[in-house]
Amino acid sequence: MKIIDLKNALSDFWKEFRKVKSGIFGLFLFALFLILIIFEPALLQFPEANNRWRDISYWENNPKSAPPEWTNFFSSKKSSTSSVLESPEEKDSNMGGLRMKEYTFIYNYDFDLPPQDIIFMAEGNGDPMVLLSFTRPDGESIDLIQKNYTLGDAGRLRISTEKDSKLEAIDFASGYEEYSVTDKLDPSLVNPNEILFSKAEKGMIKSKIPLKGEYILKATVIMQNENDIVKNGKLIITGRVFGVLGTDSYKRDLWTGVLAGIKWALLIGILTAIISVSLGVVYGVISAYLGGFWDTVMMRIFEIFVSVPLLPVLIVMSAVFKPSIWTLILMMCIFFWVGPVRTVRSMAMQIREETYIEASRALGASHARIIFKHMIPLLIPYSFASMAIYIPGAIVYEATVSLLGLGDANIVTWGQILSDALNSGAVLNGIWWWVVPPGLSIALMGMAFAFIGFAMDKILHPKLRTR
Amino acid sequence: MYGKYVLKRAINGIAIYVILIFIYSILFNVTMEATVRSQIEEVVRAEVMSMSNSTITPAEITRYGERRKLELYTQYKLDKPVGERILFRALNTLTFQYGNSTIIKSSSGSNGVMDIVLEAVPKTLILFSTAMIIDIIIGLWLGIKKAQKPGKTLDKSTSVVTMIVFGMPSWWLGMLMIMFFAYIVKIFPSGGLHSTPAPEGFAYFLDSLYHLTLPVITLVILGFWGRAFLTRNIVLGVLQEDFIMSARARGIPERKVLYGHAMRTAAPPIVTMSLLALLTSVSGNIVFETIFSWTGMGNLYWVSVQQNDVPVLLGNLSFTTGLFISGLVILDLIYGFLDPRIKVGGKA
Amino acid sequence: MDKIKMDEKNVLEVKNLKLYYNTSMGQVKAVDDISFFLRKGETLGLVGESGCGKTTTGTALLNMPTPPGYIAGGQIIIDGEDIVPIPEKEIRKRIRWEKISMIFQGAMNCLTPVYTIEKIMMETLREHRDMTKDEAYDRMVKYLNLVGLPEHILKKYPHELSGGMKQRVVIATGLFLEPKVIVCDEPTTALDVVVQAQIINLLKDLKEKLDLSFIFITHDLATEAEVSDRIQVMYAGKIAEIGTNLQVYGPQGPAHPYTRRLLSATPKLHEKVEELAFIPGTPPDLLEPPTGCRFHLRCDVSMPQCRLEEPPLVEIEPDHYISCWRCSR
Repeated sequence: MKIIDLKNALSDFWKEFRKVKSGIFGLFLFALFLILIIFEPALLQFPEANNRWRDISYWENNPKSAPPEWTNFFSSKKSSTSSVLESPEEKDSNMGGLRMKEYTFIYNYDFDLPPQDIIFMAEGNGDPMVLLSFTRPDGESIDLIQKNYTLGDAGRLRISTEKDSKLEAIDFASGYEEYSVTDKLDPSLVNPNEILFSKAEKGMIKSKIPLKGEYILKATVIMQNENDIVKNGKLIITGRVFGVLGTDSYKRDLWTGVLAGIKWALLIGILTAIISVSLGVVYGVISAYLGGFWDTVMMRIFEIFVSVPLLPVLIVMSAVFKPSIWTLILMMCIFFWVGPVRTVRSMAMQIREETYIEASRALGASHARIIFKHMIPLLIPYSFASMAIYIPGAIVYEATVSLLGLGDANIVTWGQILSDALNSGAVLNGIWWWVVPPGLSIALMGMAFAFIGFAMDKILHPKLRTR
Repeated sequence: MYGKYVLKRAINGIAIYVILIFIYSILFNVTMEATVRSQIEEVVRAEVMSMSNSTITPAEITRYGERRKLELYTQYKLDKPVGERILFRALNTLTFQYGNSTIIKSSSGSNGVMDIVLEAVPKTLILFSTAMIIDIIIGLWLGIKKAQKPGKTLDKSTSVVTMIVFGMPSWWLGMLMIMFFAYIVKIFPSGGLHSTPAPEGFAYFLDSLYHLTLPVITLVILGFWGRAFLTRNIVLGVLQEDFIMSARARGIPERKVLYGHAMRTAAPPIVTMSLLALLTSVSGNIVFETIFSWTGMGNLYWVSVQQNDVPVLLGNLSFTTGLFISGLVILDLIYGFLDPRIKVGGKA
Repeated sequence: MDKIKMDEKNVLEVKNLKLYYNTSMGQVKAVDDISFFLRKGETLGLVGESGCGKTTTGTALLNMPTPPGYIAGGQIIIDGEDIVPIPEKEIRKRIRWEKISMIFQGAMNCLTPVYTIEKIMMETLREHRDMTKDEAYDRMVKYLNLVGLPEHILKKYPHELSGGMKQRVVIATGLFLEPKVIVCDEPTTALDVVVQAQIINLLKDLKEKLDLSFIFITHDLATEAEVSDRIQVMYAGKIAEIGTNLQVYGPQGPAHPYTRRLLSATPKLHEKVEELAFIPGTPPDLLEPPTGCRFHLRCDVSMPQCRLEEPPLVEIEPDHYISCWRCSR
């Protein structure tokens, strides 16, 4: 079989394939995944997510376990969204030799549920003193924080109202609420923002009626030393809903995780399928071609591999050897290649009897030449179909191994996201946006290849075709 | 004729089992020995500790400890060359002497790995065989329906569903099912084998059934599509055979042609392929148990991975392999029994 | 309407039978408006290239076209009754195997592999006749003996029998309800030569003994010449020629140019042939059959009329029908 014949055969195959609607749909899904991979850098809100997925400090400004933003659309109580106020009004002043910098942020609050946290961030160094004050639409002004900070080597100032102004908020509430109520509050369980964004009245601790309008947050930084510098102040509103797919309980953006997982799933699936199906096809053809004693020996070896309970062995090997993603792919290939062998062998048995094989043998063609030039090309369409069918399996196996916490810790895969979800009790807490998207992605990718593979299979087995 | 076939298959199965156990022993030798060594040290340390408040001098205690350690090393053949150690371990595994666990204990408090594994086996069998039976019944029924009218709406739509669920991990669906049926619509328990405290008598049976329902439903709604698709293809293939046309020409009613001639012929491949698919799906879905806190073998994998309990992990693997191979042999036997070409013999 | 004399003595009359396939590419007229008849105690041979509609005609006679084929029109009158309008259920019960049975191509695959011979035969018998098991058994044995098989074969599975034995079982099964017409579709193709001869002799023998009426489908003209009383040549879903054995194979030779070419393309033992003749071109695409005579593109004596008008089937001498513009006069 010449290359040109092969090309013709493939183009004929494509002509047939085009007619199968489900196959085209599968290809479309596959293309969609590819596009998402190509544009991943542009789509990632958190560019370092691939390397710092497990680095909690990278995600600290995100809300915790926040549902996706679009859930607001379906709920009667609108949750505050997350945003960053980056260009505040800046004012430098000098008061009695002390340099001061004043940042004024204006935040329009138009939600029913207040943000989880309000974080003031700045860069610089030294030991500045920071005063944070808060002016509400009703004119009330609260001094939230007055504290000295040591910026240290990181040169980063981060002040969280959620952490640092609990007492101030309770203090504010006690101006309206009865003492018996405020006294019983456990400060560690109070989110100050819930008080700060509620109408100031009796019963506010309990009913928390949102006070909508313009809030002014003023951060005054006092440089206490000569060389204290503070710059690039910004205010991060950590909402109650976040991004496309929300966040997990480690504050990680799930959309980023799911997006970053695509390439790994595809890589694992395709690489495993290509290697193992190629191995299996070659093995089956050689076994059929050689026949006799060698066929028996090869089939015995094959039988041993077939008798291995795949997933348990993969789990144990992963637990014992702690593989990287590449070793895991290799391990899967060691067991996956048996899949196509039986079918390939019986197909090759038929091909072997064809006259042109006999003819080329008579002409003195070498075994290798006959196998690789004359027999294997005939099996290429079948190989493609099997590859497509094996891809979902490989993806699911990797996900399962990852679910047990045995995945490669240097990458982000869907299985790992689900593993974290399971271990953090996302199921029990109903954090569906943590559980559904990664699993759905696995299912969708599996579906894409199932559609492609089944369509190919249909073309290859016309007997089962429906008229 | 069939007896010889049975014998041949059984011997073959045992041979494969032995080979696999040897491979495991070679593969996991280093890890297993490290565990045994630390177990020995633990034992010796405990013995030494218990002696320390007696009147023996510290030097003597240390000497005793050293001696005990060597004794135990010899007992576990850790002083022998590596080939002999592997052989020893493989033979132990083959005789189901899996040793002791490091952390996990059976419910009776035993730390023998075999006890722990044996406790898990029936739970796994109950869950998966229940799901299997329902799965096969629905799958067969749907498959025949599909094969009767290939290319029609029912066939096409169910085939699409087959492809949709093709790459869906069962444990993920399990997570969704729990989230939905145990937390949003609270009609099923979120997991476990029975309520705590477990009720007595018939109520216990009902309670177990109730706990079994959600995991079984999950397994079945993922599984039977594939079974139906397979059945359809086999039956459709058989329906195009000459003897079907021949039977129709002889005036045999369609019902008998379909359920008699076609199904009886399709039975050996359907039964074996379904069982094979189920066997691999059991081994592939084994983690699924964890989601439902179903304390079977799959959950045991999970627990032993979390606790890093190597002896339990390896013992469980050896036992699973044994069960898996037994399943394969039984499969062959069923096939041979159903197909007269093997059962009766003669030239095929 | 083709002019075919219909007769009281006919056990089978086919009138204007049309069998079409609806495919995604369009309608295929696999059998297009053919009429013929079969006399009692006679063997009618159906010959033609593969794909000419022989087998389709055969299965149509049992009113069981292979889907997506369907009988688009015409009558199949067996023993005075038109079976085309009869509902499927009744056909099964009353017509198939009772009045017309069929011995299929490739007996190897005609017996359900997982049933014993007894079960296959018993099921068929008891489906049609109210017989006790013993009666049925006796009849089975009788017919097995008739085809030269011992009784113990009943306990066997098909795979335990040789090809020739299987074919004999199929023949016994085809006969034991004593149908009016038996359609044999290439009953010997898959067998080796010696067994072929045995089966052919057996069929001839049985025909004598039981006064059977056969429709014998084959592409092997030599076999056809041996067993048939009359030959019916088909081409592209149409009848080209019907004649007695002598009229077709006799010294005067066939009348239709297609039959002539078909015969000359068959190797003969007694003649020394330099090069085997073949018919140029391929059988027409039945999705778009040629206009006029369907053979005109490959015909060496075609006339302009052949391209324009379809030739009717006319009787050129007693019992000799032909559909050809040039040769019919």
